[in-house]
This record gives sequence, C-alpha cells and structure tokens, in this order.
Amino acid sequence: MRTQKNADCGLRIADLKSEIANPKSEIKTITVAVAGNPNSGKSTLINAIAGTRLYVGNWPGVTVEKKSALFEYEGTNIKLVDLPGTYSLSPYTQEEIIARDYLVHEKPDVIVNVVDATNLERNLYLTVQLLELGIPVVIALNIYDEAEKKGYKIDTKAMEKILGVEVIPTVATKKMGLDNLLKAITNITNSVSMHRPKKLNYGSDIESSVSIVEKQIQNSYSQLSEKYPLRWLAFKLMERDSHVMEEINIENQSFIEEATRHLKKAHGEDMESIMADARYAVAAGLTREVLKKPEFKKMELTEKIDKIVLNRFLGIPIFLAAMWLVFKLTFDVSAPFGDWIDAMTAGPFRRWAEVILGFAHAPAWTASLATDGIIAGVGFVLVFVPVIFAMMFFITFLEGSGYMARAAFVMDRAMHSMGLHGKSFIPMLLGFGCNVPAVYATRVLENPRDKALTSLLIPLMSCGARLPVYVVFIGAFFTAYVGTVLWSLYVMGIALAVLMGIIFKRTLFKGESPMFIMELPPYRMPSFRSLMIHTWEKGKHFLIKAGTYILAVSILVWFLLNLPWGVEHKKDSYLGKMGQVIAPVLAPLGFGNWEAASSLVSGLIAKEIVVGTMGEIYVQKAADENKETPTLTEDLKEMGTSFAGAVKDSAANLISTFGMASLSSKESTEETKERTPLRDVIKGQFTPLTAYAFITFVLLYMPCIVVAIAMRQEFGTWKWFGIAFAYQMVLAWVVAFVIYQGGRLLGLG
Amino acid sequence: MNLANLKPGEHGKITKMGAMGPLKRRLMDMGVLVGEKVKVEKIAPLGDPIEVTIKNYNLSLRKKEAEGIEVEVVK
Ligand SMILES: Nc1nc2c(ncn2[C@@H]2O[C@H](COP(=O)(O)OP(=O)(O)OP(=O)(O)O)[C@@H](O)[C@H]2O)c(=O)[nH]1
Ligand SMILES: [Mg+2]
Repeated sequence: MRTQKNADCGLRIADLKSEIANPKSEIKTITVAVAGNPNSGKSTLINAIAGTRLYVGNWPGVTVEKKSALFEYEGTNIKLVDLPGTYSLSPYTQEEIIARDYLVHEKPDVIVNVVDATNLERNLYLTVQLLELGIPVVIALNIYDEAEKKGYKIDTKAMEKILGVEVIPTVATKKMGLDNLLKAITNITNSVSMHRPKKLNYGSDIESSVSIVEKQIQNSYSQLSEKYPLRWLAFKLMERDSHVMEEINIENQSFIEEATRHLKKAHGEDMESIMADARYAVAAGLTREVLKKPEFKKMELTEKIDKIVLNRFLGIPIFLAAMWLVFKLTFDVSAPFGDWIDAMTAGPFRRWAEVILGFAHAPAWTASLATDGIIAGVGFVLVFVPVIFAMMFFITFLEGSGYMARAAFVMDRAMHSMGLHGKSFIPMLLGFGCNVPAVYATRVLENPRDKALTSLLIPLMSCGARLPVYVVFIGAFFTAYVGTVLWSLYVMGIALAVLMGIIFKRTLFKGESPMFIMELPPYRMPSFRSLMIHTWEKGKHFLIKAGTYILAVSILVWFLLNLPWGVEHKKDSYLGKMGQVIAPVLAPLGFGNWEAASSLVSGLIAKEIVVGTMGEIYVQKAADENKETPTLTEDLKEMGTSFAGAVKDSAANLISTFGMASLSSKESTEETKERTPLRDVIKGQFTPLTAYAFITFVLLYMPCIVVAIAMRQEFGTWKWFGIAFAYQMVLAWVVAFVIYQGGRLLGLG
Repeated sequence: MNLANLKPGEHGKITKMGAMGPLKRRLMDMGVLVGEKVKVEKIAPLGDPIEVTIKNYNLSLRKKEAEGIEVEVVK
C-alpha cells in the first residue's frame, strides 16, 4: 500500500472546465455506489477521494440519507454516492430500504463495498448480499491500519480469487490506497463483462430451490426479470421480503411455497433464517480462509477505557461529569472571545458606521436602523459565535471519539423508562448543539414511534441558540456560579424530557417499545484536521443564520419597534404593544414587563433573537454615554491588543478548569466579565430570581421556526410540531411559575 | 438458560433463537446465530442493557432481547 498525495484525487475543477470547453474528448460519467456496514468509513473515504465534507462520526448510523459527490479522475467523471450504512439488505430499517432501493432501481455502474478489515466476517455478510445483485463490485478493505495493529494478516489475493472482485486495502483517514481504488473502479468500467462477480454457492439444496424460482420468474413474469437482478429477486421472493412483495405484487405465489417447502422442513426454520445462516456460512468460510489472527489477544485500549467508562459504579458519574466538563469548557474557553466581539461591535464598528453614514448625509432614521437595528441586532448574536463553535467542537469530539455510543449504552435504561431507545440519546445529545440536525438524526431510529417521540422531546435539549440568552443573564447575575447555573439549565431540560417522555408514553404512545441492538465501535482519536472541519461544518449554519435571517429579523424588529412613525417611546411601538398585551400573562412568572414579553415574541423565530431584541430595546440610551471618539488607528490597535488579551484569558480559563482546585473559581471568570451595556441594564430590570425564571422560560417555551420546518419535513405533517408547540408553552409557563413563586416563598425574591 | 442469565465474563454458545419477526432477523444479520459463541462483557450501570462480544465485535442489547436467545454455558 502506498501513500498518495491529496492532489491526486481532489476535485479538479480546472480539468473539468477544459473538458467541457473541448467537446471532442467525450467524458464518461460513471456512477459508483459506496455501500457497507455502518461505521466502516464510507463517508470518510468519499471525503478523502472527492474532497467533500460529508458528516462523519465514530458511531453507527451517521449517514441517514444518500449523498453524492462528483469528481474527475483520468478523464472520467465519477459520481460517488454515499449510502447509509447497513448490516444487511433486509426490509426492516429505513436506511436499509434507502440503500437497497438505490442499488436495485438506480443500477449504479459499480459498487464500492467498504469493508471494515477489523471486522471481516460481519462485513462480508453484507458483501455476499451485494454480490447477489450482479453489479460489479470493488472491495475497499478499509481501516486496514487498525487491522494491522491488531496483528491481523489478511490474504487479499485469496479473497479476490474466491469472490471474483478486486480487493484494495485502504486507510481512509490517512488517504491511503485511494489511487489503487480509483484504478480498480475505472478498470471495471473499461471492461465490464470481465468483472461480473462470482456467483457464491449457498449449498445444493438452496441453489436448486433458487434456480426453480428463477425459472418461474423468467417464464411467468419476464418483465420483472428485466427490472430486477434475477438471482436477487428470487432470493427475496423466497424470503417473502415484505417490501419486494409489495412492490411487485404477484398474485400466484404458490410456486414460491413449493420451491421452499422442503428447505423449511429440512432446517425446521423460516426462510429468512435459513438464508441468513447460509450467507453467514459463506462469510465465515471465507474469513477462515483469508484471515490470520495472532495467537494472543492483547488487552486493547478500548477495553481498558470501557472498563472505567462503563463501570457499574463509575459509569453514570463519568457521564454526568463529562457533560458538565463540556459545558464548563465551552463557556470558559469562548467567553473572552465573545466579550471581545461584543466590545468591537458596540465600539469601533458602530462608530465607523456612524461616521460613514454621516459622510453620506443619510437621514437620521437610516443611521438608527443601521446602528441600533442591524449592527446591534447582528452584533449581539455574533457575540455568541465563539460559544457555539466551542460547543460544536466538543460535540464533534464526542462523536469522533466513540463516546457517543457509550453514552447511549449507559443511558438506555433511563431512556427506556420514558419509552425511548438508548439511540434516541444520540439525536437528543446532538440537540444540545442545534435542534435542527437533531430532528433529522432521529432517522437512526428504526421505528416511526420512536422517531416521533424523540422529536417531541428534542426541543427540551437546550440548543446552542439558547446559550446567548443564558450567557447574558448569567453574566449579569451569576458570575460566581457560571458553570453550575448553566449546567442546572441543561439538567433541567433533561429531567423535564424524562418527565414528558413518561407522560407521552402513557398517553400518545401506548404500546410496545422498540428494540435496542447497537454496535459499540472502538475508541478512536479524531484528527485535529477533521475536528476542525466538522466543527466548522456544524457551526457554519449558525453563521449563515446570523448573516441572513437574523439580519432580516433584526431589521423587522427595528421597524416594529419604531413604527408607527415617530413613536416617542418604545413602549408604544407595535412590538411594544404586543409585549404589553402578553405581559400580564407573564406577570406571575416574575417578568411581566413589556420589554421581556416583546423579546420573547421575537424569539419565536429563533431564540438567539431574544438577546438581539433586548439589545435594541434596552441599550441605546446607555450606549450613547461614551462620547470620546478614538481615531481609526487607535481603534485598530485596541482591537489587536484586546484580541490578544482574549486569547490569554481563554487559555487561562482552560488551565484553571483542569486545575481542578479552581473549578468554581471566581477570580478568573470575574476578571474577564467586563461590564457590557446590556448586562448593566438587565441588572436593573431583573432580580437573580426573575432572571432565572426568565432563562428557564426561554429554555422551554417552544422550538424555533426552523425546527418546525424540519419536523414537518421528517413527518410530512404539522401534527407533531403542533403538539410540541402546545405542550412546551404550557410547560414553560408552569415551570417558570414554580421557580418564581417557589423562590419567593423561600424568601429568595 | 438464556443470554440474559449469563454473568459478565461468562461464555456461552447459542442453541436456539426464540425471538420472532424483525428482531430475530436483525439479530441474525448482526451475526447472532445458532452455534455462535458469545461472551457477556458488561452490564450497563443502570442494570440494562448488556454488552456482549460476538463474532469478534461488541454488541449491546437489552436483557429483554437477550432473553429470547437460548444459550448453554461454555467453560
Ligand atoms: N483508523 C481508521 N479509522 C477510520 C478509517 N476510516 C474511517 N475511520 C473512522 O471510522 C469512523 C466512521 O467513519 P464514517 O466515515 O462516519 O463511517 P460511515 O461508514 O460513513 O458510517 P455510517 O454513516 O454510520 O454508515 C470515523 O471515526 C472515522 O474517523 C480508517 O481507514 N482507519
Ligand atoms: Mg457515513
């Protein structure tokens, strides 16, 4: 195996263009389906080959939809199609159906079967089924590095001979073997007929039955034999595959029964089990032939880590501590940068905009729109870019390391008690980053009931967009307990999800709860590069949101705050009036003022907007006070030095978090908390108790519009969103009520 | 004797697959077959699910699912 350079197989747009300009050289486009077991590295492989940034993670079920990547290799356009990982081509999970429908109906030119070399037998079970399709196959023997490390010797030549397909060792994470793989693919398309995979023999009794069924299909249903691979279809009919039966809908099925009767009798089993056994027998035989394992098995790192992490007594504390550490680090590392951006947008940017608009002789109201509306609105949100990226970074790390699957294992019992699945835990955990991808990730769940229930609970997972609101309030009231207060909100979300889950399980979702069968992948150290790429891919959405519709909403809010024209007081503006109408409803919760109510209204669109609106309502008066205007060079110098300061503070926080003695240290956090105008105003308007009730309300009160759209897309109906909306409004009100009134009774008000 | 009865560290050999329908098919697709050797590795901190090694990889499943898998203890 040799290393090959990145450039060899990246997207070569320049080449593509010249080919288009020169129509003489006809370019072929070939379609290559990438199929394999979950977590075998399919997406990583495609990313390595085509330079794409498909979502990867070290847990089974990352890819849930087919995705494609187009690139050019030696004069051929290759379309790589990333399929969801599957263990089999049975009709029981959505992913399996997506993968096999693609393979059967779209008829790709080549299948690249990504096989996890550390797990040959189970992976080859799928290979055996792929070969039934009669499409040319190339095997990418991936994760070859780990197999070598374990001391496995795999005889790829023997494998090629037995299967009749090329077998190429690859290490997708290190871009090794890619060139050979591409050569093998193009070889096939240059001479297809020579690369028909071998027909594997499942034993004489099965083979004779299948040939009877094949003949029958050809005789009585010849149109089917054109549409489907014959051998595959025959097997599916024998297995009574519900999905295929429905699709082809043949009336007279007695010939199938006849052909399989003696098999069922001889094995005393149903046909599905007989076929699974037969296929595994082939896979096992093949594995025995080609794989040599070392005599002594070393205790592996994964085992050592799991001994501690999944320990009976330590498992749960470690899980909770890990979550706490993630939030603590997220906050500590990012806070100085957030403050820096805050100072920049409130200071230099604002001043520059004023200067520019002044030169342009813009009317006063446009200056106000630009500074109070746009710069303040977007600025307040941009402040949270560092927090969100830090959070995404840690989530990416958890995903890449393999801890996600352990979390599902540790939490399954608790999940199960609310009618869920340990795997529901994964979308829910993703929900801490952003609820939107979390709703899509519910596809890892096999049954619609789980999906719906999980999606209903996801909005209780406090997403990154809510952080800005917490940050402002915590910064104003709870600087001494930053980590703890933040942690309490997340834990509250989880606890309420448990409660609601139990309620839903007893009401909307009566009936059987689903199965939990999940592979635990080995721990892996994600590379720094891939951490950065996937953190960026996740965080990017927030930036785009800030740039587009948060911008639009900031403008809208500005207008709502300044219309009808010439309102003297914000209170009489449209938004203010809305706030005034709603405020009495919020009064029992301790924040029945129109300012808070108006902010909450605007937050229906996206929760981070709450902060932006508060900024617009509260801050202007305060900000006008510092009149001394520095020069441009002074501004730039100040930006530079304060950024350096932020880096230093961030590093100091990081160190103090790990120096466990100062876990809740006041000094380091208080120093970096400079007074920002919004925090000061909020301090006057709220008490610690009402502040806490308010952020609780923000945590709970409803999923944002984008989640609504995602839910609608996933379920094809507004029903689930409607239910989520209704129960969350009630829940938010009740919980905030209990906190505020309870707190007052305890004399905290 | 079924798989849920085995203690962590114990080995077993599958003698019968009791579960029916999709669950059985799913288990079989993941290599849980009659005649296969399994080892129970761990029980989750809250008592369920369990983790087993089968066909050289780690699989977790709930006790309720493991109950459908008949085993005999192997030394
Ligand atoms: N050591 C090693 N790790 C790899 C290799 N290829 C992929 N991985 C890791 O394996 C994990 C799974 O990779 P993915 O690309 O997400 O796997 P997938 O097949 O797309 O998984 P699903 O989408 O869940 O079906 C990631 O943690 C990768 O970093 C490899 O060649 N060597
Ligand atoms: Mg994938």
